[in-house]
Amino acid sequence: MNEPILSVRDLVVKFSLRGQVLTAIRKASLDLYEGETLAIVGESGSGKSVFTKSWIGMLDANGWIDSGSIMFEGKNLATYTTEPEWLTIRGKKLAMVFQDPMTALNPLRTVGMQIQEALELHQDLHGEQARAKTVEILSEVGIDEPEMRYSQYPHEFSGGMRQRVVIAIAVACNPRILICDEPTTALDVTIQAQILELIRGLQRKMGATLVYITHDLGVVANVADRVAVMYAGEIIEYGTVEEIFYDARHPYTWALLSSLPQLGIKGEPLYSIRGTPPNLFADIQGDAFAPRNPNALKIDFVKGPPFFQVSQTHFAKTWLLDPRAPRVEPPATIKAMRDKYERYAL
Amino acid sequence: MLKYSFKRLSQSLVTVFIVVTLVFLLMRLLPVEGYFGDGYDKLTPEQREAILRKFGLLDPWYIQLKNFYASLFKGDLGRSIIYRPDVPVLNIIKLKIPYSFAFGIVAIVLSLTAGLAMGIHMAREKGRIWDRIWSSYIVFINAVPSAVYLLFIQLYITNIKLFRLPMLFDRHNTISWILPAISMSLGGTAGYAMWMRRYMVDQLNQDYIRLARAKGMSDRQIMVKHVLRNAFVPMAQYLPASVLFTISGSIYIESLYSIPGMGGLLVDVIQRQDNPLVQTLVLIYSVLGIFGLFLGDILMAVFDPRIRLEKAGGAR
Ligand SMILES: Nc1ncnc2c1ncn2[C@@H]1O[C@H](COP(=O)(O)OP(=O)(O)O)[C@@H](O)[C@H]1O
Ligand SMILES: [Mg+2]
Repeated sequence: MNEPILSVRDLVVKFSLRGQVLTAIRKASLDLYEGETLAIVGESGSGKSVFTKSWIGMLDANGWIDSGSIMFEGKNLATYTTEPEWLTIRGKKLAMVFQDPMTALNPLRTVGMQIQEALELHQDLHGEQARAKTVEILSEVGIDEPEMRYSQYPHEFSGGMRQRVVIAIAVACNPRILICDEPTTALDVTIQAQILELIRGLQRKMGATLVYITHDLGVVANVADRVAVMYAGEIIEYGTVEEIFYDARHPYTWALLSSLPQLGIKGEPLYSIRGTPPNLFADIQGDAFAPRNPNALKIDFVKGPPFFQVSQTHFAKTWLLDPRAPRVEPPATIKAMRDKYERYAL
Repeated sequence: MLKYSFKRLSQSLVTVFIVVTLVFLLMRLLPVEGYFGDGYDKLTPEQREAILRKFGLLDPWYIQLKNFYASLFKGDLGRSIIYRPDVPVLNIIKLKIPYSFAFGIVAIVLSLTAGLAMGIHMAREKGRIWDRIWSSYIVFINAVPSAVYLLFIQLYITNIKLFRLPMLFDRHNTISWILPAISMSLGGTAGYAMWMRRYMVDQLNQDYIRLARAKGMSDRQIMVKHVLRNAFVPMAQYLPASVLFTISGSIYIESLYSIPGMGGLLVDVIQRQDNPLVQTLVLIYSVLGIFGLFLGDILMAVFDPRIRLEKAGGAR
């Protein structure tokens, strides 16, 4: 594959909370390639938002990048500390769409102005030109009567429409990388699909690289080229969509997949992951998923596994891939999927 | 917007009517000695009754009320009895208004500038040293009775020879304006600072700030284009009432510095039991208060589209 557009290595992000230090991201590494769509999946609380927010310097005030690197256009963003430094990246090169569109817009400014602000900052458009472009973007994100909508206020828009506006703002930034952090989670199911479709269409049109964060593996198959699975602040497995869906190797990925209602086998109870994620205040010994893993090996509790390569594009961080490891069968649902896939692949 | 203003206006008028009526009826409970002038002791019971009858005070309350409204609509609020015997009360008050007004304007300008600047500074420095310093000022102003620190200012600052500030107001002496004007702005400054800080911190915690940052706006741009304006909206609601209240004269400070304004007058005429003047002043203060609240709601609607556009389209 070609050179990555963004390359994160061993990133550690910490927060201080009531005098204690919490490690939200533990040595996460990830490469992002130009033009692709990468989905980051994981339970809520696994660190997906913190991980991506750290790329644009938008960690909450009590958080900081402790170590590691984020290479982008030859610069290490992990060393950025001041606002002027981040402003060369934030919005300009990397834009972000957040989860809740109901509160994401300023209720006292017109929708048009809020989009136009981004145009003025990043596309050097002003006055009438900026206005015309804003109207164009509004219609591009699927808002009818954009001229009229331009001068309306957020409360005159429905939730789905507001998310379109938020997406319009991201489009106005014209970024190289667009990060969508659970953009449909807060919306009605019927609208979710439309928003998803919109994001895909825009990404194709802009040629941007898309990072799509979700805790719902179900939508991933529809959007992504590649998938990275996050657990307790680490990327534990990544590969192409096919590799993750039909040839997952990490027990946590198995667990995530098995809990998908769409994949359930008739008659078998829906799988749910036992236990709770680890305490992020404490040091984690060995594999963070081991205490919840029914097939955990002894070594899992002692030493964290390295990444093992499964294919050119597929890597997983589990001792199961070590040649010395005993053979552990994935759960029935996973095997069923694999079989189905192999049959169709023929 | 028009509909909203009209609705609020009619509500205010109803309130004015109720308040005016209440004030009038409560005034009837005041002692009547004031109506007899200085010679109360020398009058025979018959003469006293004649005087009370002349003022219509022996009529049943609803007749009195009817007469009161009748003359009110003719612009007649009665005549002073003791303070300036037989002079129409409005003529007396008219002379006082310019003083209260002038001091009020100065105090408003001072307290708004200082208060808003202080509040903004506190919000930006939240939790740090300046936030605490200004907070202690606000706590002081709110906790210590104003009579105490205002008196302290008058006595001790005029005592400092360097400043040569006079103890009392003298309209021919410009520097005699300084202390009363500053005194009048201290409370307002604390109030505006406290509200501004609070509303700005509220705004800074809103989700839309996060999106504005993600867009690539600098903190300064976000402050100017989003936070300040939004924080000002809730302020706008209280501002007119507070402005009207200030320009209608500070009761305590006007007496303290012998300023010939409306506030000082109120104290004077209450002491002397000049009931028609007391009644008129109380009416003016109440109506100004109601009017201020009305203006505040209108101003807020001007700034906040969620109120302005209510029912004119609504959420879809
Ligand atoms: N400002 C913060 N202070 C302390 N802990 C935080 C803060 N922000 C996030 N965290 C913690 O970091 C972890 C990862 O959070 P997050 O990235 O939001 O998860 P996700 O997006 O995957 O649901 C969580 O345990 C969360 O409690
Ligand atoms: Mg999240």
